[in-house]
Amino acid sequence: MTKFLLLAFRNVFRNRRRTLMTLIVVAGGVAALLLSGGFFAFLFRNLRENTIRNGLGHLQIYNASYFARDEKHVLDNGLDDVRRLQSSVQGAAHVRGTAARVEFNGLVSNGDKSSPFLATAVDPEAEQRMGFELRITAGRDLKSEPPGASTNQALIAQGLAHTMHVGPGDGLTLLAVTADGALNGIDVNIVGLYTTGIEEQDQRQLRLTLQDAQRLLQSNRVTKLVVGLDATDHTDAVYSALLDKFKSEKRDIAIRKWIDLATFYNQVHTLFSGIFAFTGVLVFFMVVMSSANTLMMAMFERIREIGTMLAMGTPRAWITGLFVMEGVVTGALGAGLGVVLGGVAGALFNSANVKLPPPPTSNTPLLFHVLQVPALTVGASLLVIATLALASITPAMRAARLRIVESLAHI
Amino acid sequence: MEPLVRLRDVGRRYAMDHTDVVALDDISLEIQRGEFLAVAGPSGSGKSTLLHLIGCVDRPTSGSIHIQGADITKLDAAALAGLRRSKIGFVFQTFNLIPVLTAFENVEFPLLLQKETAAERRRRVLEALESVGLSNRAYHRPDLLSGGERQRVAVARAIVHRPALVLADEATANLDTHNATQLIELMRQLNRDLGVTFLFSTHDQRLLDRADRVVWLCDGRLSGAPYLAGELGLPVAAGKAIAAHSPGFRSSAS
Repeated sequence: MTKFLLLAFRNVFRNRRRTLMTLIVVAGGVAALLLSGGFFAFLFRNLRENTIRNGLGHLQIYNASYFARDEKHVLDNGLDDVRRLQSSVQGAAHVRGTAARVEFNGLVSNGDKSSPFLATAVDPEAEQRMGFELRITAGRDLKSEPPGASTNQALIAQGLAHTMHVGPGDGLTLLAVTADGALNGIDVNIVGLYTTGIEEQDQRQLRLTLQDAQRLLQSNRVTKLVVGLDATDHTDAVYSALLDKFKSEKRDIAIRKWIDLATFYNQVHTLFSGIFAFTGVLVFFMVVMSSANTLMMAMFERIREIGTMLAMGTPRAWITGLFVMEGVVTGALGAGLGVVLGGVAGALFNSANVKLPPPPTSNTPLLFHVLQVPALTVGASLLVIATLALASITPAMRAARLRIVESLAHI
Repeated sequence: MEPLVRLRDVGRRYAMDHTDVVALDDISLEIQRGEFLAVAGPSGSGKSTLLHLIGCVDRPTSGSIHIQGADITKLDAAALAGLRRSKIGFVFQTFNLIPVLTAFENVEFPLLLQKETAAERRRRVLEALESVGLSNRAYHRPDLLSGGERQRVAVARAIVHRPALVLADEATANLDTHNATQLIELMRQLNRDLGVTFLFSTHDQRLLDRADRVVWLCDGRLSGAPYLAGELGLPVAAGKAIAAHSPGFRSSAS
């Protein structure tokens, strides 16, 4: 085996210039995969963490009926006694904190004009403790007040602020239907503006404190409890632990992981994964087309030698194996070169701090940063090695099927 | 005593452009163990075809070939490959060494096929290279060896696995006189020392002179020496003299 590997290795370098050209193509393909895949991995990681930190949290806990039936009135399917639930969840391992939220919609008015809104009511202190960050573009974030106190603060997304012609320090009236089905309204002071990074959401969103929302909606319930963990990788473990805990406590609770709730993340992930798969297919064909011809030429140049080996009693399967091994060696060398090339190019891009234009529905420039992903490196390398092995099958089969007498007479 | 090789009414035809070309016709021949046997004849007479058939790299279209008693016409491709691996060595006109392997590695190749241990391979390769006088060139690649040295490496490769039969197809054709003479002497010595049977096709009179027996072929048939002498551009008397040294062939002159 070692001797045949050595023979394969030496055969690969018989025609050095031709092999070099093949290696450049293979290495280019691997580098392209590593750069695009590393960039996509950076996008996914940032989008994931931003999605989680923007308030989605790692887990969200709901009343089980939340997903079972529609609400007639706001908070019909909300969680009762959220403080007891919070203390229960916070005892679990890897839980960094919990934050109760109320989500509702209504109309916002500045006296002259009104517009629909989507509100998220939060406990500002809990949100900050869990590291949920809002991108405040003007003014300040909400501040927690003692329970029962009315803070009358509101943080408004910059698109909605623009629509309502307001800014920090201005007042607005929020109108909503209460948990009993009545219409209610409160006045709030705008303490700051923020952006979600998504224009459509910025046109509708605003935030206020839990106390104000519960006062407006006339209910002590909350929509959900958001759970933040010390690391995203612990999501599955904590999910299972909490599920077991609630089951044993016979609580009618539903838990959702961030990945099940992050619609935008999943859409982006699907889109970019598709693009990456397409890149992989292109690389596959590029490598197949360039290497198949090279391997076939190598076979034709060695017909008499193959005939000699067959005459000496070399099993035909060994001849097939030798050519496939040559493909694998070429693939492995190309992959190694490509990993180095991709690593160097990635490091150069990262140090150059290249910024791309904001993607659709976003207003933030995209940093072109390439992550080193071991699984991607291994995957891309295996892809080209397998591709080369595949490309070598035709010449390998032809070599193994050669007629000995004709091969020995080949000039 | 059973001959090493026995051919009975062997024929080989090729289909070429809707016509049958007869390469060998009705050949019956026996080769004894330890013989140093030459196959002579003009170009196209079927020498190489005969060697290919005996070497199990081609199949006859008629007749039977027995090697050590086994009818090779009844063996499948894998069994024939096994037979070649264990019982037959080849020496080619153009040496046919694997250019990326050193002399040592080329000679080692048949032993790799036989899955010998590394220590045994090393011992036998060095022994084979020693027997052809190339111990000092063991780690040179073929492109750094002279034509004569390459052919001696090929001979070492042909005998390293201790075959019963070595087939040499025009082995001296690409060598100068000095190297050709050296090679002939080497093969004769190996034949004597190791008892290996040598069957070679040749035009080389020096090689014919050293043969135990010469089998003459013409147009695919065993033939007479005087006719062949004419074909080879030799006087008929020379052919008759050759025939005198070539017992056991079917001669039109005798």
